[in-house]
Amino acid sequence: MAPNVGYVIAAYLITAFALGGYTLSLLSRARNAGRRADAIARRRRDA
Amino acid sequence: MAATAERALGKAISRNGERTLGIAALAALAVSAVLSLVVAPPDAVQGEVQRIMYVHVPAAWLAYLSFFVVFVASIAYLKTKKTRWDRVAAASAEIGVLFTALAIALGMLWGKPVWGTWWTWDPRLTTTAVLLLIYVGYLAVRRITDNPSRRATWAAVVGIVGFVDVPIVHLSVVWWRSLHQGPTVLRLGAPEIEGTMLLALLCGVAAFTITYAYLMTLRLRVGRLEEREAREALSPIVEVER
Repeated sequence: MAPNVGYVIAAYLITAFALGGYTLSLLSRARNAGRRADAIARRRRDA
Repeated sequence: MAATAERALGKAISRNGERTLGIAALAALAVSAVLSLVVAPPDAVQGEVQRIMYVHVPAAWLAYLSFFVVFVASIAYLKTKKTRWDRVAAASAEIGVLFTALAIALGMLWGKPVWGTWWTWDPRLTTTAVLLLIYVGYLAVRRITDNPSRRATWAAVVGIVGFVDVPIVHLSVVWWRSLHQGPTVLRLGAPEIEGTMLLALLCGVAAFTITYAYLMTLRLRVGRLEEREAREALSPIVEVER
């Protein structure tokens, strides 16, 4: 293995985890906020 | 009824657009990875470790772009007082913080084998760390008050003043004696970089830019949904107050 390849692998893994992790967190935030807003609207309609 | 159908159609189109952008970003990142890790040759002096540049430089470019969008959206908000501009600024600042932190982390991974140290108080590194602190501060300012208009105004002022650091970061390698290398692509005259390496670098910049566009659409949707949630939660109180 060429010298310093470990740094390159670490760099690309960090990039993938950072971009992938942030995307997943945004998708989860959107889903949760939508659900909460729908639940509040439903409760208000039913009250 | 027609308005509801129109809203539903608009939502479906925007969700489809978001999905298409996501697939385009993923494909562009894959092509960029192949060009950077397989096609581009290793550097004559630095060897394999130079391949970190193909992600470090695009991350730094995206940090500049994100904060430029914050700057423009902040001016637009102060001028028009339209919430949509504040939402754009907040979304871009959050993504900009991610890319700045990523650029710093990748730079450190390159610095250790090439410079022999993870970190040094070099002008480019120091001004970039200050940039990160400014926009973490911007996000903190957004949490100080619950009043949406006051929050947007304070944040817009920080977004405009904070942008002053971006040209300082970029020109720090020209203005001061720096360990960090000077501009190789954005410079007067032809780029000082081999053709395949330049292609890999430009492809990386394009892939990260498409990824930024995708993250912006996602983050803007989160912003809209969180605002709707707050509106729904507050509306009975408003009715009582009336």
